[in-house]
Amino acid sequence: MSDAKDVAVRQEAMVERKSRVQTMTPYVDIFENEDEILLFTDMPGVAKKDVVINIDNGKLTLSGLREITQRGAATWEEFGDVEYQRTFSVPQTIDIDKVNAELKEGVLRLHLPKSAAAKPRQISVKEA
Amino acid sequence: MWREWSEIDRMFRAMDLLNTRMNRLYSDTEGYRISSFPSGMTQAGPRTNLYDSGDHLLITAEVPGIAKEDLNIRLQGNYLEISGARKPDNPEGYSRHRMERAATSFSRSFTLPSEVDSSKVEASLKDGILTLTLPKVEAAKPKQITIN
Repeated sequence: MSDAKDVAVRQEAMVERKSRVQTMTPYVDIFENEDEILLFTDMPGVAKKDVVINIDNGKLTLSGLREITQRGAATWEEFGDVEYQRTFSVPQTIDIDKVNAELKEGVLRLHLPKSAAAKPRQISVKEA
Repeated sequence: MWREWSEIDRMFRAMDLLNTRMNRLYSDTEGYRISSFPSGMTQAGPRTNLYDSGDHLLITAEVPGIAKEDLNIRLQGNYLEISGARKPDNPEGYSRHRMERAATSFSRSFTLPSEVDSSKVEASLKDGILTLTLPKVEAAKPKQITIN
């Protein structure tokens, strides 16, 4: 028994714990055409003010926090407070200043326009 | 005889050791869960919560990307059915890189824990969460009982 105890003792390093909100990876769809990359993601229950989109050093970080205001005793509860979080690499060709997003019916739609230099161009041949 | 006992004792000790190690293993991963259905639209339908606040029931469901017109709510006695479909929202003229949000249709039904007044049911849809407020019938509401 005594040596088993030794194994069980855990030194609780007091790591700062910010919150106990569960983190989830939201589903995404990614589309692309000549002008932009389009990203759709499901974030049900996340209000517009709780969505954070960050682009830094070629990394796009999406984050959405949902807080359920509970009303009454839960008979069953299949979803609760959650933080949706996902990170992507974005190509250099994205014009970061023109990135825009909309949130509708719990779906975030993120438009990542390509910079003019990255768009395909047709080169016409001049007559010599 | 004594020898046998010590054998048993040793065996138990080994089991204890294993047990504590296993416990530690689980407690280390506490709070970290891998969800196979991150967005909530499972094959079985959206995830729901049911709250009972005494005089009414409250049902919430995760229905991201489903329009009001595509949701159907039917109530018969204390049997509730929520069904709906998510249309594919593939934009025209785009090539696809990744498709995780499938177009699905679902139907989920519940037996409510008490009778509800179907004429006073309210439903709202906000940020992809469907909220149903179902007032209980008078007979099912909790009553304060005073002690004589």
